Amino acid sequence: MSSITLTSSDGIEMSVDRTTAERSVLIKNMLDDLGDSGDAVPLPNVNEAVLKKVIEWCEHHKNDPPSASDDDDNRRKTTDIDEWDQKFMQVDQEMLFEIILAANYLDIKALLDVGCKTVANMIKGKSPEEIRKTFNIQNDFTPEEEDQIRRENEWAEDR
Amino acid sequence: MSKRRRDRSDSDLPPKRIRTVDLRSVDRLSGLSNELLLHILSFLSVSSLNICQRLSHRFHALGGDSELWKRQYYSQWVQPRARRLANSKRTTLPARADYSPRVANWFDHGHLEHEGNWKRQYRLRHNWSRGLCRVTEVEFPEPPCPPTLVRFCAGIVFTVDSACGLRAWTANDPASCLASVSLSTRPNSPVNPTALAVSQSYGNIVISVGTENGHLSLFLLDPQTSKLALQSSYAACNGAITAMAMSTSYLLVVSQYTNLILYDMHHGSHQKWQYSGAATPRQLASLKADNILAPMTLSLRVSQSDIIATVVYSFFHIGCGWSIGIQELRLNKDGQQLDSRLATTVDSQYGVRPSRGSQPSKRHSAEPGQSQSTPGAPFILHQQPPTSLSYSHPYLLTSHADNTLTMYLVVSTADDLFVQGGRRLWGHTSSVSAVQVTKRGKAVSVSSRGDEIRIWELETAISSLGTRKAPKEEHGIQLSAGSKHEPAPALPRTLSESLNSKSQETSPLSIMQDCVGFDEERVLLLREKGVGTQLLECYDFT
Repeated sequence: MSSITLTSSDGIEMSVDRTTAERSVLIKNMLDDLGDSGDAVPLPNVNEAVLKKVIEWCEHHKNDPPSASDDDDNRRKTTDIDEWDQKFMQVDQEMLFEIILAANYLDIKALLDVGCKTVANMIKGKSPEEIRKTFNIQNDFTPEEEDQIRRENEWAEDR
Repeated sequence: MSKRRRDRSDSDLPPKRIRTVDLRSVDRLSGLSNELLLHILSFLSVSSLNICQRLSHRFHALGGDSELWKRQYYSQWVQPRARRLANSKRTTLPARADYSPRVANWFDHGHLEHEGNWKRQYRLRHNWSRGLCRVTEVEFPEPPCPPTLVRFCAGIVFTVDSACGLRAWTANDPASCLASVSLSTRPNSPVNPTALAVSQSYGNIVISVGTENGHLSLFLLDPQTSKLALQSSYAACNGAITAMAMSTSYLLVVSQYTNLILYDMHHGSHQKWQYSGAATPRQLASLKADNILAPMTLSLRVSQSDIIATVVYSFFHIGCGWSIGIQELRLNKDGQQLDSRLATTVDSQYGVRPSRGSQPSKRHSAEPGQSQSTPGAPFILHQQPPTSLSYSHPYLLTSHADNTLTMYLVVSTADDLFVQGGRRLWGHTSSVSAVQVTKRGKAVSVSSRGDEIRIWELETAISSLGTRKAPKEEHGIQLSAGSKHEPAPALPRTLSESLNSKSQETSPLSIMQDCVGFDEERVLLLREKGVGTQLLECYDFT
């Protein structure tokens, strides 16, 4: 099995199985373009810590069947995450969002979904104030605006 | 200690101090691009989306994203229908029943395809399904005699009575009258309107008023300028006009229950209506009947090549009680009668379902051997005539004094016309006096004192007709009124409660007819309140 070299934004080189790395559509396309030159693939948007984490995920999921299609709706119906991924995502918020950004940049759809589902689960079932506290979101509404929006959206509550 | 204080100040006013980089207070979520945030939001439920909209201005905009709500709408309302369809046909799910932003199979929801605000659509549908609405009331002081007739079209309410003539109101603000025009041309000669029909045509709204003395008046309302003007008026027939149906440019009139006349109001020219040209409607066809029993209703469908005029009437059938007859007349655009077909609900009242494709003659002889259960007693037996009929192809609904409605499905193909189904709808707790149904199977029924309104979704009931299994939601949804047109939120209370307090003063004999109208967003109801006043109520589901 051939292996390739990735270079993180802070200049660290990492050797990875080609099949593992090709979970990333970005890397796959770059490798196709580069051919078998053996050059390191530069990833200027991902630092070493995050890249390690992403590779760990790809390693575990390298034998997953490719997802059926772009717009499969089933994956959206549930925010269930499999056990290994849940453990994998038990990181601080900084790392969680770094992983989401990296998955987006590297174009790893399944990892992006896991990351986004994790965030969605952090939002679910909370009050607006609790969500703001969780993510440090600045409330830029005036009390009147807030009151109006609360009334506008009352219809779908208590389900 | 200091941290706690900062948290509190975070929520109302930002501290003057510039917050230095404290890793825990960085808003990483808002640091993501809109695209990624929408991806996260796409995993949330409707209620969570609404909560997210309350976080900040940015989340308010993102959480209201139409594409997100379109997806929610699809999975909540369209997909279940697709599955039901697949079940009833015992076929596998159509391949493209999944949602996709580009192509999606909309299963009779195609009218929404060009919708721009999906959150609004979702909320509307949600409110209908729960019977949640706002109520606005308008009082009419002196109730005229004969009573006011009401129609509802394109968000505009039309009322007509002898004293005030034809009036138009917008449903958004029913308190102010948009336009009004007197019915009689000469003073001191009151005209008593007996029938009212409204239809949209080339950007305008055409209103036709039939009167007691057989006069027919056509009015035109321009929704942009609220200009309401008389288009033409002439004596149509002898005797009162009792029912009318309109479809873009055709008008079907029945007078004194026996004369059926079809008009072309527009002479085939496909231009905008003009106010000046006093074009008299062209009489296309006139038919006489010996007797048609009331209640009856008319329906008019216009297709590419022909016009289908349907008369639905009730009659007494020995052994089967009150039944419904349907006569379907097919005419070409010149008024030549091509075809006339008849169907009754007698077969379906016995629970016999006419087999498709069989010869009409065979079907009417209703061989008992064909059905599994030999019909001894009718499946549905009505001892009294229905209190009202409503037909909007393919749905036929009748309301009865015995607290029920009966639903039939009319099947009209090129070579066959028959009535399918026949199912009682339960739920009303008093005599039902009026019912209205639309093409897409939404129906509204009102009890005789107007103190109970129920809305029905018949689509689901229809798809289960084939299996004869009772649908889960046999009961219609009773409306419950939310806030009552004051801005402050009032405690939600059910409609029956709010109306019961008033109904004591209602005279028990006031019967409601020609009093309901509804569209995608609202239900309108005209009811009598005590002696001397009429009340127009608008139930707004938005």
